[in-house]
Formats: sequence, C-alpha cells, structure tokens
Amino acid sequence: MGIPNQIRIELFRQMIRAQVAENSILRLIDAGKAQVLYHSARGQEAVSAGAMLALRNDDSMFYGHRGVGHLLTKGVNPTLIFGDILGTTAGSTGGLGAGIVHVVDPSVGVLGQSGTVGGTFPLAAGVALAAHYRGTDQVVLCMFGDGTANRGTFHEAANAVGAWGLPVIWLCENNGYAVSVSQSESTPITDLSIRAAGYGMPGVIVDGQDVELVYAEVLSAVERARQGLGPTFIEAKTIRFRGHFEGDPQNYRTDSDRDFDAIDPIVKQRAKLISEGICTLEATQQIVDECESEMELAIEAALAAPLPSVARAFEGVLS
Amino acid sequence: MTEIRQLTFVQAINEALAEELERDENVFIMGEDVGSFGGVFGATKGLQQTFGSRRVFDTPLSETLIVGAGVGAAIVGLRPVVELQYSDFVGIAMDEIYNKAAKWRYMHGGVLSVPLVIRAPEGAKGGGGAEHSQSPGGMFQSAFGMYVVMPSNPADAKGLLKSAIRSDNPVLFLEHKALYSKSGPVPNGEHLVPLGRAATVRTGKDVTIVAWGSMVSRAIQAASTLAEQGIDSEIIDPRCIRPLDSEAILESVRRTGRLVLVHEAPRPGGPGAEVAALVAEHALDSLLAPILRVTTADGYFPQSVYLEKFMLPTALDIVNAVEKVCR
Repeated sequence: MGIPNQIRIELFRQMIRAQVAENSILRLIDAGKAQVLYHSARGQEAVSAGAMLALRNDDSMFYGHRGVGHLLTKGVNPTLIFGDILGTTAGSTGGLGAGIVHVVDPSVGVLGQSGTVGGTFPLAAGVALAAHYRGTDQVVLCMFGDGTANRGTFHEAANAVGAWGLPVIWLCENNGYAVSVSQSESTPITDLSIRAAGYGMPGVIVDGQDVELVYAEVLSAVERARQGLGPTFIEAKTIRFRGHFEGDPQNYRTDSDRDFDAIDPIVKQRAKLISEGICTLEATQQIVDECESEMELAIEAALAAPLPSVARAFEGVLS
Repeated sequence: MTEIRQLTFVQAINEALAEELERDENVFIMGEDVGSFGGVFGATKGLQQTFGSRRVFDTPLSETLIVGAGVGAAIVGLRPVVELQYSDFVGIAMDEIYNKAAKWRYMHGGVLSVPLVIRAPEGAKGGGGAEHSQSPGGMFQSAFGMYVVMPSNPADAKGLLKSAIRSDNPVLFLEHKALYSKSGPVPNGEHLVPLGRAATVRTGKDVTIVAWGSMVSRAIQAASTLAEQGIDSEIIDPRCIRPLDSEAILESVRRTGRLVLVHEAPRPGGPGAEVAALVAEHALDSLLAPILRVTTADGYFPQSVYLEKFMLPTALDIVNAVEKVCR
C-alpha cells in the first residue's frame, strides 16, 4: 500500500514551501526589514511536511520554534506568517510581531505556541481531552525537540494522556542538540522513543530525512488515535543544517563535516520523484518557481500592511 | 421573593459548582481527589455521583497537567474548573498559570479566550506548615490577563464562583480553608456577584479598613470594639486582587482620611502593598495619618499549630492599628 503519487508530490511541494519561506525570512532579516530571532528549520523539512500532511484541517497541532514549515503545511496563510515576522498588522496577531513563535489560526487547528519550550505538553493533553469530552475523532499533534523532551511537563502530560487514552501524537524532532548541548551530554539514552513504554504507548523511530516515511508513520499514529486506541510517541531522527539561531557560532558541533547534501530531505525526495518517473526535473523546478511566487506575493501583502498603533500593545489582554 | 438560607462556605462552593455543571454542558471539573472522594475539603462532594465521571474526574498527581490541560481545553471552548489541592501548589504550576493561562490570549493577538477557573484552597489552618498555608494571591498582581478572587463569606463564595465560571477570562479562585466550615446567609436561586466590585461591609467615617478573605470577619470584630471607643470604622472587602476596585477604596479613603490594610499574606508583595501605593499616588493629600498594614508576620508558617496562631493577625492587632492611626 504505497503513498499516492499526488501526495508524494505534495510532500515535496510542502518541503519547498518551507525552504523558500525560510530563505525569504532570512533575506528580510539580512535586509534589516525583520527584527526577529529566527530559528532555522533547514534540514528538518521532511518532519514538518510529512507530519502536517497526515492531519485533517480540524485536527490541532502545537509546533516548535522551527515552525515555519509546520504552519504553512497545516494551512496558515503565508501572509499571516510574514506579517508576524515583520510586525505588521497583516500578521496573525495583528501587529504584535509574534515571529514564528506565537502564530495562531484556530480555523486550521493552529492554537498558538508556548514561548517556554515544553509548555505545550499539558496544553496538548487538554485539547485532546476536549476532543474526547466532545466525542469527536479529532487528534492533536504535539511537536518538540530532543532538548524539550527533558521538560518535566512531558512526564505529567504523557502520563495522563496514556492513562486516559487520549488522541495525541507526540512527535519528537530529534536533531541531537538542545541549543549547544548534545543529547549524549543531557540524557542517558540514545533513543528517546523508548520512554514511550513508561507511558503505556507505542514508541517508534522514523528517519526524519525521509518525508514519505515520516508521513506514513504519522498517518498510522493518527489513525490509531482516531480509532480511540490512544497516543503514540514518534521520534524522528533528523539534523539541523544551520545554527540553533541565526548567528550561532556552532563551535560545539561535532557533525559539521557531514555531507548535508547526502541527507538533505528535499534533495532526496526530488531524486526519488524523478528516478521513479513521477516528476520531471522541469516539473520539480516549476514547483520551486510556484512556491517562490507564492511567498513573494505574501511578503508584498505583509509589507504593504502598516505597523500597528502603539495601542495595539495593550489590546487583547482580557476578553 | 428571594429566600435567605444559612450555608457553610464549602456548601456554597459546592452549590455553585453543581449549578454551573447543570447549566452549561461545557463546564467540567478535574483535579486531585475531586471525583468520588469529593475533594480533600469536600468542595466537590457528590458532584461525580450526580454528573458522572465524564464531567467530574480525578487527575494524576500532576499540577502542571491540571492547569495546563485546563488551558488547553479552555482555548478550544470548554469551561474547565480545575482544582489545585492547596494554593501553595501554584509554585508547581507557575508557568501554566502565569505564562500560559494569563498570557495565551494576549500572545496570540487576542484571537483565543481562556475561560478557565483554577480553584485553590489557601491560608493557614491547623499546622499546614510553610508549604500548605500560604495566601499567594499577591504574587499574581502582574498577571494582567487573569483575575484573582478571594471571597470572605458563603454568599460571595457562591456568587463569585458562578461569575468566575461564566467569565471568558482565566480566574484564580482562592478559598480560605479556615472559612470552609463558617456559615452565612446565601440567597436562594440564581446568585451572581460581579468580579472586581468591592463590598462595603460596614460604613463609617473615621477610618477605612480594607480587608481580604479570612481577615474580613476579624475586621468586623475589631470594628465593634472600636465603636465602643467611639471610633467609626468603614470596612471594605475588595473580594478580588485582580481586578481591584480601586475607585471604591479611594473614595472611602478620601472621606475617612485614614487607611489600615489587613490580609493574611505577609507584607512584602501582599495585596495591601499595591493598595498603599495606589492611595499614596492618588489620595495622599486626603491622608490624616500614615497607612498601616496588619498582616501575618513576615516569615514562614511553622508546622506547629501552637506557633502558627502567633503568626496570624488578630482582631486586637487591627484594633491597635486603628487606634494608632486615629490617635
């Protein structure tokens, strides 16, 4: 039972959208137009694209601080994202300048993001509890990194979700580093997914550089959750190509001699589509061109919107 | 005609919860031991038996989960009423209360609401010691996206809790453990008390006593003693720390010219400190005497029941403070 060709192409397109959007953000930062602390997702696009395409529009997700691809694939209009990056009123937060961290769009199941990492674990449990309470078959996907996996909030949330059989997919993007500290320095285990056993849920490992494998694994966890069979812990082994933040000297890395091209999820998927005759090289290039146009238009719209009035900073505190 | 009955504080809480569970299908209750056990102080007694384990259920011993999952369920439209077994446990769930419940709406551009109530029994009673006796309301004075409520009697407990559950904003609802067994009149039928409106418990012309929670009854006691000496005290119960009814307080102080602040939390960071600053900023020229505070001694509660009672402010302490400012 393979993945339909249309979806295999879409997985590629979603990775390109993430990459193009990120490049656009980096250009806006370089040009001095955006003043945000940006966390690159280069190298990890297969995880966001594969995971988010496995969800329905009415499923919820909590993303991480490398979330540009997650947001785009879940269905957030790119103008809202660029508006939040630029701090204009075109952003999802209407000019609060949320960056990537606090983008919101409940109409596509994006319920915001915690600035304190790991803050979303209990919230994800609560959103899943609400689905269970209402008797819907919606699921919640909660993304986090290997560093965030060490927060105590994970224990409390995963334990309750396991005990109550709630529809949560815990998806760990394990890129090996919590800012500068490697996983081996901070945890006694290599595979974080073995923790799942302690919460009575399946724990699986997936190659996070292969978008089709990520998609298939998340889809099967989503189906389990929809059927009322409870949560799954998926550990996607991945790698970030750039620093934790832009400007990170990365002097702590021991993997900088790796051939990133060989493990680039986008390169890999393009080669696969072409070699299997699903797409021509030209067709993949056309996808890139389309994504570039899409992002250009979104940036124009976001730039065209004004900065908010100072009063905006004081609005929306209370209902 | 509204009939008045006598209920204990904890019965009033229980009745408010039952009525709101009955009224709104989106309301549910979760926390430690709140299910068939009925809560360690009995506040949820009988509710699981009446409303079922879907609406009223126990959680693991996990405070970040209790509050955080409450926030999660609230942002998708449910109205969770969660219980922290002791208000001291706000320390465990501080990120969930101060950074999530209070800020989630603001951080996300006002798009989402957080209709969550966090019930938390507070205060010293019976030797709880340093981690089961505190009154932490003052710590949340800068939680701008949240309300902090401190009822002082059964009627207010019921009316404020019902308003809190219906509010679209998160509410930290602090119930003093020593008040649970105290009785008072509670109106029959629908009874709502708006959040953020102070009650003038006693009118008077010589001094304004602002007292919160468990200290209100001691202020009333003190006022009777003072009346015998010819000192006419006005007592204001703000009922909330946020929103604070600053107008009611300022109006009273401008009339009496004297202010004594009474709360169980210690002085630094307690709710009185902010009120003193507010009065200094807006009504200093009305003051005929320095502002005084009557609070628990600055320190921690010992485990010893014997020592505990020496920490707490008494009616006599309030009398002495008022005499001092009226001298």
